[in-house]
Amino acid sequence: MNLDDELKSALRRHEPPPDFTARVLARVSAGPARTAPLAGLSSTLTRKSTRWVAAIAATLLLAAGALEYRQYEGERAKSQVLLAMRITASKLNKAQKKVQMLSHRSIS
Amino acid sequence: MRLAGYLVALGLLAAPAPAQELKWNYDKLAAKASDTVDVSLSGSLLRLATKFLSDDDKDEAKVKKLVGGLKGIYVKNFEFKKAGDYTPADLESFRAPLRGGGWERIVGVHSTEEGETVEVYINNAAKGIGGLAIIATEPKEVTLVNIVGPIDLDSLSELGGHFGIPEVEVEKKK
Repeated sequence: MNLDDELKSALRRHEPPPDFTARVLARVSAGPARTAPLAGLSSTLTRKSTRWVAAIAATLLLAAGALEYRQYEGERAKSQVLLAMRITASKLNKAQKKVQMLSHRSIS
Repeated sequence: MRLAGYLVALGLLAAPAPAQELKWNYDKLAAKASDTVDVSLSGSLLRLATKFLSDDDKDEAKVKKLVGGLKGIYVKNFEFKKAGDYTPADLESFRAPLRGGGWERIVGVHSTEEGETVEVYINNAAKGIGGLAIIATEPKEVTLVNIVGPIDLDSLSELGGHFGIPEVEVEKKK
């Protein structure tokens, strides 16, 4: 059998058995299939634990984000303090230098 | 009604700004400046910054000690494209609040040759200096400093030679 024949055979239309429609309708009118009570409990537990895991993961992510942001804010504040001190000290030193120059001039 | 109560309570809880904190309005200068450096650190940010300053690094440890008790640091540096972009009148509004409220000018230097001025003001508190203000101008630059809280000027001057600040050789009394 070559590939064409195999494909034709696989894709050939198959008619359903004559009682197919009746069986489907009967199953539908019978309602949902009953499951074992433990299976329901296990499904509820799985859903709850999934929620817990998601909540813990979200909390951890938030905490990590907050820590990261605090670190960023701290480093930024530190560099701002250093910049402010640099500017302030340089202006003070400039004033100090000029006062010294003037006092030297007045002495000599 | 309850909301109004909360608002009144919040208003009562909000601490008034200390006298050393100057209510300077920078809008006029900022509008004329080509470049601006703005450092505004209030109490909570300062406390956070000190936590990040290292005790092991000699320079950072000095700064940490210096800013430890401060309530605020406000430094603005405005650069202008050309001389004359700001006028002496623009600076008057910064000097006005320093004429009272416990402020005292300790240094005022003016160099006609370089066109530079530096004015240093301190606010006297019960225990030493309670605040510092500096108005420094150059033909194309204005720097305004307001430090709120107890500041040790000697320690601040000691920062000279560190962080790229030129060191001034102070002649020690013999």
